[in-house]
Amino acid sequence: MEGHQRNLPLYDRFNARVVGVSVDDVTTLKYWAKSLDLTFPLLSNVTGFLGPSFGVGPSPEIKGFPVFSRRTVIIDPKGIIRYAKDGSPDFKDILLFLKKMNKEGGKP
Amino acid sequence: MRRHIGMLLCFAWMGMMVSACATPGTAQKPYRFSQQGTIIWQDEFEFKPPPSNWRVIQVEVGGEFGFGFLKVDSGPAPSQSMFVYDEEPFGCSTEPGERGREFFRRYLWSTAMIADMQILEKKNVNVLGGEGLAVVAEAKDPVKKEKVKSKVVFGKRGDRVVAFYLTQWRPMDGTYDPSAFEVFDRFWESFRFLKKSFYQTLVEDP
Repeated sequence: MEGHQRNLPLYDRFNARVVGVSVDDVTTLKYWAKSLDLTFPLLSNVTGFLGPSFGVGPSPEIKGFPVFSRRTVIIDPKGIIRYAKDGSPDFKDILLFLKKMNKEGGKP
Repeated sequence: MRRHIGMLLCFAWMGMMVSACATPGTAQKPYRFSQQGTIIWQDEFEFKPPPSNWRVIQVEVGGEFGFGFLKVDSGPAPSQSMFVYDEEPFGCSTEPGERGREFFRRYLWSTAMIADMQILEKKNVNVLGGEGLAVVAEAKDPVKKEKVKSKVVFGKRGDRVVAFYLTQWRPMDGTYDPSAFEVFDRFWESFRFLKKSFYQTLVEDP
């Protein structure tokens, strides 16, 4: 999460916005965001209904706990998922993809 | 006028951090020695090498730190010293002083040490050709009967804060070895970049 916070100026440069989605409740997310000085939105989705929309299921690593598997998804202005990668975010890969997408978006 | 294409970057997470694992260097060396005797690390960094009894360590997963050196010290566990160069130290601020405050809220978070961290010294230093901050801290774990002394140096690479840090672990009644801190000081004082960072290139190249 701190990696995304550090990269906010770069996301802005490439006309991207970042949003976190979690099955944690709102209170937990508020305290968590405060502890890490996060300023971007975190969405609480306690029932987990958003998971399948992004191809995310319950984490196989932590059985019995209602947590999402970790996945990074980039959605274009038309709502199409253009990038999806499981595991810890590869920030350099994400930034290069956003830069490329931003360039394509700027073409006539 | 900037054109907003309205991309949305979403991510889900487990709510837990994955710790990085330091492992000894593999057979293919990521460094070479220059004619002046300095180490050239992946053609990107140059610095004075530590004595030969320090082993190279690298991150293979995660991103807690980039690379560094480890020395097992004489005496009972956990007697060892380790120093690293970190491109992404804890925290988000682009100002070294503020980053230091953020950093020490998370530093050594996976140990009990963070609950008892004492700042022993804090001073401005010249590092990487600019102003930086050096902090010396110590923490003790009365349950495990261990202690750690650490020096962290924050500097800038482009717009971003980077850090160097040394941790020296000892049993509670052990004595620290100041020579490791001298080796560490030579490391960060001699450290220089041979090319622009990924982030500098990202924003400068068309």
